[in-house]
Amino acid sequence: MIFIIGGSDQGKRAFARETLGLSEGDFLICSEDTREIDFGFRCIAHIERFALGCVRRGESPEDYWRAHLDRLGDKVLIADDISCGVVPVDPTMRAWREASGRANALLANRAERVWRVFCGLGQVIK
Amino acid sequence: MAIFISGGCKNGKSFFAQRAAKAYGAPLYYVATMIPHDGEDDARILRHRADREGWGFETIECGRDILGCLECADPRGAFLIDSATALLSNEMFAPDGFHPDAAEKVAGELVEFIRRAPNTVVVSDFIYSDAAGYDEWTLCYRRGLAQIDRALARACDCVCEAVAGQIIVYKGAIP
Repeated sequence: MIFIIGGSDQGKRAFARETLGLSEGDFLICSEDTREIDFGFRCIAHIERFALGCVRRGESPEDYWRAHLDRLGDKVLIADDISCGVVPVDPTMRAWREASGRANALLANRAERVWRVFCGLGQVIK
Repeated sequence: MAIFISGGCKNGKSFFAQRAAKAYGAPLYYVATMIPHDGEDDARILRHRADREGWGFETIECGRDILGCLECADPRGAFLIDSATALLSNEMFAPDGFHPDAAEKVAGELVEFIRRAPNTVVVSDFIYSDAAGYDEWTLCYRRGLAQIDRALARACDCVCEAVAGQIIVYKGAIP
């Protein structure tokens, strides 16, 4: 598994296309309404939005990924890093930030390679 | 060689940028991009001016249409543009209204600027990693600044991030 993280709008998907040879049809773009991940896609993007949906439903995105680790071997996962702002006042946003961070840590831990994308440029951080 | 530096607030971007501009060894121009709106802005400008004192910068006030600077300065000089963030804000939220496509203009002008004046350091701000919900205008602004940052990262020879006064290099090398 390859895990790509970076701030919003940093060009992470373009980076994945160029560096990993992915094309537009390879991407599953998650939203808050994504309940089940379609593992037919090579790349699962915006997993932080999937995490927000989980939190709103009272579920744990970390538990979801842990239960599906055997499906992730050949996947590319992409997350917006939402961890660096002020602690959100809204309890749901607060829970989202924490759940997202825990899910990211699990996935990065299991990944063979982790990239951080900064202004379109990738840096290997694992 | 053009240099792009970004990072969070108070991480040493401006200090690094001043040092890098000085290292070009050419006449120094500081492109002041902030259009002051209140006393807080005035105070910030005074603080920045005091920081630059003794460095030998000639200040050019230019809040928008950045290529205009090159008409009154030597393009072989060393330019410090601080910052892309302020330029986009001035162009997007202009007195005549909201310009959602301003990032395209600013990115194009900045890339052209460093083509004509390669001894340029451009400062931006890394505002992309929080969990706050924003209104459409703010999201448009943030997307726009990211578009400018990526265009500059492609066009510049050296791309860096300032973290707690330390400089992480993503592309090229610090001269």
